[in-house]
Amino acid sequence: MQQREEKQLESSLESIIQRVNDLKASLSSMIMKIETEYETLNWPKFLDNYALVSGQLISLSKVLSHDKCTNLRNLTVLPLMLSPERDEQLVQMTEGRITTFSYDLVPDYLRTKLEPLAEQKMMQLELKAQNLQYDNAQKQIAAYQKVVSHVWDIVNKAREEWEVEASSRGSTQQNSSVADTHLLVAAVGMGKNLKMGGNPNGQPNPTSGGMMVAPQGRPGGPPGQGPIPPSTQAMSMNKAPSAIKTNIKSAAQMHPYGR
Amino acid sequence: MSTLGTAIDSLTAAMKCNILPNQEYLLQGSVLDQYVEVLLHRLRGLCDNVDSGPETFNDHELCYSLRINSANAPCILPLRVRRALDVTDAPFQLRYVGQPELGDKNRPTVVRSSIDMACSSTILEFLNELGCRLDFEYISRGYMFRKGRMKVTVSKIFKMNGMSNKPSEGVEAISQSYLVELSVQAPLGQDAIAEDMRIFAEQLRPLVQLEKIDYKRLGNMMS
Repeated sequence: MQQREEKQLESSLESIIQRVNDLKASLSSMIMKIETEYETLNWPKFLDNYALVSGQLISLSKVLSHDKCTNLRNLTVLPLMLSPERDEQLVQMTEGRITTFSYDLVPDYLRTKLEPLAEQKMMQLELKAQNLQYDNAQKQIAAYQKVVSHVWDIVNKAREEWEVEASSRGSTQQNSSVADTHLLVAAVGMGKNLKMGGNPNGQPNPTSGGMMVAPQGRPGGPPGQGPIPPSTQAMSMNKAPSAIKTNIKSAAQMHPYGR
Repeated sequence: MSTLGTAIDSLTAAMKCNILPNQEYLLQGSVLDQYVEVLLHRLRGLCDNVDSGPETFNDHELCYSLRINSANAPCILPLRVRRALDVTDAPFQLRYVGQPELGDKNRPTVVRSSIDMACSSTILEFLNELGCRLDFEYISRGYMFRKGRMKVTVSKIFKMNGMSNKPSEGVEAISQSYLVELSVQAPLGQDAIAEDMRIFAEQLRPLVQLEKIDYKRLGNMMS
């Protein structure tokens, strides 16, 4: 009989330790993230971590409340020997947190009851709760529920408004037009709709359509083959209009060169 | 001649060492006129030049093409000249952009080869003498933002009504939207920047859908 109980205790302790270790690992990774990645950490990531921790807490409490699990409250931990000396094994086991198993530390670490101060406070509160009139309690609960439901309503309303706004923005507001994009890109890239203005003599340009798009039109190399002479005379700007005029004149004369 | 020789030598050396930013990573989109303020506000928050505010520009772009009649493969070399209308002492910019390459689905941006150089206003005359023909021209006015190596431009494109000598008069906006471009100029093989661009573009949604635009399909669609 006793042997069976011992076995049960051992297995339940093992599963508890495993859960606690999982919890510890995810807590430490979360702390690590907060300390090292606080610049890039965003809310979704943080909440993911939080959800992991709370899930592990729930599974731990499930293990603890399971029927097969020995009720730990009924067990006693009895310190057999205290020593002020440094205990290497203990250091290793606690990952460097506790170095000695001594008088001033043991009461804190092996505590099974609340701290006296906290316990006193709990007692006071419990006493107060017991002395409360039933009607009074009901009234307080009702008031509290009223406040909570009011806040709930506010949050719900805000969410609804937000969702409506988001959906309307997503569907109706059109900020750009694909047709305009194509028009502009074709104009800038290939001179679509711009050519008439650029051809003062009105001569239709036979290759205008395929000028930039013709696949065989790919130039063999960079335009470096015609050496661009470094401009020797620095033109002052008042000469620029004359350059443009030349350009019109020669656009009309250009065909003898072109053909 | 010797100076020209050394210039070309150093250019070739630079190309060999792969330090020339000759690739442009590009995403394009647009935003309707009435939402451009919202976009500018968001860009002000996202980009580097917060204190100085967005840089404005008012540029005239002339797109030339040069036909090279070699025996077996005639090819067309597109060249673009851009000049600032608002900053009169700024140099002109000559630019070559190659065919946009879409790549596969995993590549976040369009990549095209691109070479930029500063030049004086004589470039227009020079290109004409070279036999280049003016294909089209337009005015681009808008705002420029920077975010690291990324450049964001939000610009309105205006058609010119045949008055090339007075580029700021008689212009007409070609659409009710602003063109939005996100680009980076980088040497060959720095594909990691494209991923940064994708992430940045993601932050502008749904205000602007910055996308890889397929020029070939666009050409077929618009014609």
